[in-house]
Amino acid sequence: MEFQIQKETAATVVAVIGRMDAVTAPEYEKKLAGMMDEGEKNFIIDFGKLDYISSAGLRALLMTGKRVKSLGGLMLLANIGGAVKDVFAISGFGTIFPMHDTVQSALGAAEE
Amino acid sequence: MIQIKHLSKKFGALEVLRDVSITVRKGEVISIIGPSGTGKSTFLRCINLLDRPSGGSIVINGVDILDPKADVPAIRRKMNMVFQSFNLYQHLSVMDNLTLGPVKLLQTGRQEAEKKALELLKLVGLAEKADSFPDELSGGQKQRVAIARCLAMEPSIILFDEPTSALDPTMVSEVLAVIRRLARDGMTMLIVTHEMKFARDVSSRVLYMDEGVIYEEGPPEQIFDNPQKERTKIFINRVRSFNYRIASPDYDLYAMNAEIELFCEKQILPLKSRQSLQLLVEEVLQICADTLRSTAIELAITHSEKTGEIKLLVESGGAEENILESAALPDELGLTIIRNLTRSIAYKRDGGQNRLTLILKEQ
Repeated sequence: MEFQIQKETAATVVAVIGRMDAVTAPEYEKKLAGMMDEGEKNFIIDFGKLDYISSAGLRALLMTGKRVKSLGGLMLLANIGGAVKDVFAISGFGTIFPMHDTVQSALGAAEE
Repeated sequence: MIQIKHLSKKFGALEVLRDVSITVRKGEVISIIGPSGTGKSTFLRCINLLDRPSGGSIVINGVDILDPKADVPAIRRKMNMVFQSFNLYQHLSVMDNLTLGPVKLLQTGRQEAEKKALELLKLVGLAEKADSFPDELSGGQKQRVAIARCLAMEPSIILFDEPTSALDPTMVSEVLAVIRRLARDGMTMLIVTHEMKFARDVSSRVLYMDEGVIYEEGPPEQIFDNPQKERTKIFINRVRSFNYRIASPDYDLYAMNAEIELFCEKQILPLKSRQSLQLLVEEVLQICADTLRSTAIELAITHSEKTGEIKLLVESGGAEENILESAALPDELGLTIIRNLTRSIAYKRDGGQNRLTLILKEQ
């Protein structure tokens, strides 16, 4: 799993690339935890280049989401499509986090 | 008509047929199906004494053909065989191929034999090829000549050993049409074939052979629509399987996924099915993490080429436990995904093993 980090005014955009599964989900948690330790608390997670997600990935999103909330920050999900969107749908996960069709739309929401 | 009891055949240490028993009645059309190398052709060759059985008895019309005093050529005349590779005499015309046996062995007059041969060539649609040589014929035509030659000996039983296996697909139907006609006319036939639709249509009874035995037999409706035994089901539904053993919670997910991917590629499964299957396996194994600390898990993925059904079988030892019910995960996410990916989930304790069967929803 790879990450592309883009710092914007309203939030840090984290593009997750590849697979978010039982092996890689801890990498995601570690990455976000590191950024939160450095003072970041607003995130937009860009799923545009994510090919696969399992419940381990969803759980990692939940865990980081909880910590973001405890810091008074926000976490928005954007650009979810294909197989990842299907997993969000069948797990009922889509209702937990605000989801946006594009990163731009999420950034707009974060600025409000 | 034919009574076979406890027939066996060994080639050295290799036991090809084991305790095969069957009675064939006059007018029956029996198809013999099963995987390659399971003794089907050897069974026919033993009946025709092309291979000498190692044990058992074969009685045809009251004659024990394994009796050393039995008149083997006379038996073969009554029970002719059609081979996969036609076995025509290349140096003889079609007409001579058909008349050689009747003239030499049945002492039929040349004229009469030729008249009969022409009738038979008409029956198989090849009257105009009487003067041709085998080399001038297509594979389908050669096989029809072989059938006509077989009929020229006026057999009461015909044994067909994969009569269409050596033919181009375009020529299969012309040969099968001739065999169908013989069936309608009441000829007693035993047919080793891989043509399942044909076997279903033409047979009064179907034998499924596996590992040298008649594993299941019954009317075509039973064997093809509702096979009773496991290996018959696997064969009829053309089930391909992939097995993987996981012995530790620290298993290599990516090595396993690569093998699942390879299996899916071989089965030409669509991308969505592959993704769903990988997700299903990962979710099940996540839930099995505790189980994996104490016992190994055997995974089997099966795909039916006939129905398209994809099944995941999860088998583990240890105490009786349905892992999906006793899962100690912090949330229901994995279970929710599993339930949504599958159309059926069944647990069974069998032979000291926990067996979980999950059938993937159609994609």
